[in-house]
Amino acid sequence: MSAENTQTTMSGSEATERYLTFRTDNLIFGVSTNYIIEIITNHAITTMPMMPNYVKGIINLRGQIVPIIDIRLRLGKSEIEYTNTTCVIVLNVDSVFIGIIVDAVEQVLDIDYSQISSVPANNREELVSGMISMPDNNVVLLMDCVTLVNNS
Amino acid sequence: MDNGMDNMLDMYLFETNSLLEQLDELLIEAEKAGDFTVDDVNEIFRIMHTVKGSSAMMEFSSLMQIAHHIEDLFFFIRENGLDSLDISHKSTLFDLMFRSTDMLRAEVSKVENNEPLSDNVDNLTQEINSFLKKISKDNTQKDAEAKSEKAPEQKKPEEPKKVSAPAVQAANLDEIRMDLAECPDDNAAFFLRLFFDEGCGMENLRAFMLISALKESGLEFNYYPSDIETNSQTCATIIEKGFFLTFESKNDAESAITQVSNLNNIRSYELIENVRVKNAAADEAQAPAATAPAVRESAAASAPAAASGHQTPNKQNLISVNLAKLDNLVAIVGEIVITESMVTSSPDIQNLKNMDNFLKATRQLRKLTDDLQDIVMSLRMVPVSGVFQKMNRIVRDMKQKLKKDVRLTIVGENTEVDKSIVDSIGDPIMHIVRNSMDHGIEETAEERIKAGKNPQGEIILSASHTTNEVIISIKDDGHGVDPAGVLAKAKKNGILTKPENEYTEKEILALLLAPGFSTNEVVTEYSGRGVGMDVVKKNVEAVGGTVTVTSELGKGMCTTLKIPLTMAIVDGMEIAVGKSVFTIPIANIRQSFKVKNEDVIYDTEGNEIIKCMNQFYPIIRIHTLYNINTEITNIEDGILVWVESGDKSYCLFVDDLLGEQQVVVKPLPVYLNSFNIKNSGICGCTILGDGNISIILDVLNLYAAAHNQY
Repeated sequence: MSAENTQTTMSGSEATERYLTFRTDNLIFGVSTNYIIEIITNHAITTMPMMPNYVKGIINLRGQIVPIIDIRLRLGKSEIEYTNTTCVIVLNVDSVFIGIIVDAVEQVLDIDYSQISSVPANNREELVSGMISMPDNNVVLLMDCVTLVNNS
Repeated sequence: MDNGMDNMLDMYLFETNSLLEQLDELLIEAEKAGDFTVDDVNEIFRIMHTVKGSSAMMEFSSLMQIAHHIEDLFFFIRENGLDSLDISHKSTLFDLMFRSTDMLRAEVSKVENNEPLSDNVDNLTQEINSFLKKISKDNTQKDAEAKSEKAPEQKKPEEPKKVSAPAVQAANLDEIRMDLAECPDDNAAFFLRLFFDEGCGMENLRAFMLISALKESGLEFNYYPSDIETNSQTCATIIEKGFFLTFESKNDAESAITQVSNLNNIRSYELIENVRVKNAAADEAQAPAATAPAVRESAAASAPAAASGHQTPNKQNLISVNLAKLDNLVAIVGEIVITESMVTSSPDIQNLKNMDNFLKATRQLRKLTDDLQDIVMSLRMVPVSGVFQKMNRIVRDMKQKLKKDVRLTIVGENTEVDKSIVDSIGDPIMHIVRNSMDHGIEETAEERIKAGKNPQGEIILSASHTTNEVIISIKDDGHGVDPAGVLAKAKKNGILTKPENEYTEKEILALLLAPGFSTNEVVTEYSGRGVGMDVVKKNVEAVGGTVTVTSELGKGMCTTLKIPLTMAIVDGMEIAVGKSVFTIPIANIRQSFKVKNEDVIYDTEGNEIIKCMNQFYPIIRIHTLYNINTEITNIEDGILVWVESGDKSYCLFVDDLLGEQQVVVKPLPVYLNSFNIKNSGICGCTILGDGNISIILDVLNLYAAAHNQY
């Protein structure tokens, strides 16, 4: 983790942003650390009735009520049993709090804006704002958090 | 130092804004009446004077100049009486005043946003001046008088402060008597001698404000120098010798002292008994004098804005607090309440015996936390009148622009709501009122007469409370909404989601709130951009509220905003269904009871019905409605809770009752509002003593949700 990290930092110009990458259904996503409040595990989720299946419920995060969604189900993938790497990333997007359940968190990367390429038009996914290929040949999909919280 | 400057600016903005608001209200009222009263004129004069003074102090010259010219204008009006104005003058004056306040507001908002102020306000000031000339041209003599009055006033700030007043403690009673020799009421029993802060400027006007404040509180007294209001030369005298108030009785003098000691810019004061009882007075005169320096310190530190305190002695009990601090306080108190029940219901102490003292202490604690909660809640409550009054201005402006005769009726403006709600409903209400003015009310009076209505249109703005929401409605008696027109327009704009003929009237009205919808062909200055109503909806939903539109073609429309009190305590009954915990507000519960299988009646569709007190009520099973796994599905194993809200009465089937608890209502996360969570019978949630979340049920919407599902 650290080796790659320093490498990108050194080669990166001033227009970089830190991204946390996480894995869900064998895809690697990146979410800007500016949005991230914290990563939590094993939190008791209170189910909310009459919600779409990807809305898992709400949690009490030190007195703040935070809704939780499962990013797998949000992307239309199948549900899996939660494992011990499953965790919740709590985001604050323009003061809207939301927690997303992901299969596992990977690492923190510095991503250079100039390296971000747009998503090919015919495979456009509403939640992906851009993609970037990493030195280890993995492709990171950058999550569009604003769309994520504004969906209806 | 920076900090001090910021504070001063905050104070200045707060004060100037509230003065301008006051002025606006006053102008609206006066225009309604079609005339200024003498009080109005004095009030405007006073407001402008304060604005001028504090703006000069903050070095906002554009604000100062405008205020200064208006002050001159009203000085003239005051001197010459209102009779010197004829009707056309008055309407010009109203117009001029509204434009001036707009200009002042614009400048103040520039200050707020840290933008440079306009350096040239000559247009407006010249207009004011020429108006002043116009109304005074038939009376040149008086005009000259006003001019001469103006001249020294302008010079005043530069006027040298020649002599610093002597220390009070050293005051010689004989000298004071000498000073008083000129006083017309030398026989008064008590004298109060005041000194203003050194270099605070405009001493004569400060003194004048002081006496008007004292007069307002019903005290009788004389003062010296007596011509402070008109003669700016008295400044020097006041600086040198002090300003004297004379009282007949000691009570009057003392109540004056309590007021004076609360005011700003008073450096020191001294109570002097008249010579006849001089010896006895000596001790007492020392006492208040000794406290004087302390008073000066606090006054200077806490209230930097010039002259603010003078006219509003009764407001001295108010302090302005940063809202963020208050929010923190509310949040912490909320936590305390939760923690308190966490402690008292801790499982660790459940099995202990002999806890009399503990229970006594916890009862006391609960009482105190309840009180604390009540007080904190009330801190944030402000009346909606501020928002409502602003609508007066909007209606007034639009009335003139659109040439429609409309009156605004305000009901329940004293309804108190949370400060954050007041802030967030201002814009939505404004949009709706504008819409009503623009689209709702008929174009011409003839149209209204033809429809058999009063030629004057009416918009009713009302606010009221229910147990857990604030209801604000904006109703007009215009031509209402034409469903066919709406539908056609929506079709044209491509926002229909299903075939036209499947839309119910309710759904059609809901289209009005959809983004990108505007029924008006022409975009006007006020509305018609099609952003209005969906912004309304968004803003209201952001604070957890709902917007509904009802309309009757030809009779008008009514927009209702229902907004939950952001944080409230509800007496709730905790119930369990499977692993979930729900809270039903006790206010909604009539009864809970067990039933036998044979008591349940079925209708043709197999819905369960129960008979209580000779009436039949439907049974709603929460576990089926909300799809919750539970082992208790047999109606004999669980319990029925008979609930009632509005015109709906029915029974909820739940697993078990867990007990009664006071809960702090937390609004649902904004994110969930996009799923229409309100319609599924949930109005909020709360954190239980053990940190778990309980969902608060909305009995009325729950019924609708169940009804839609079956």
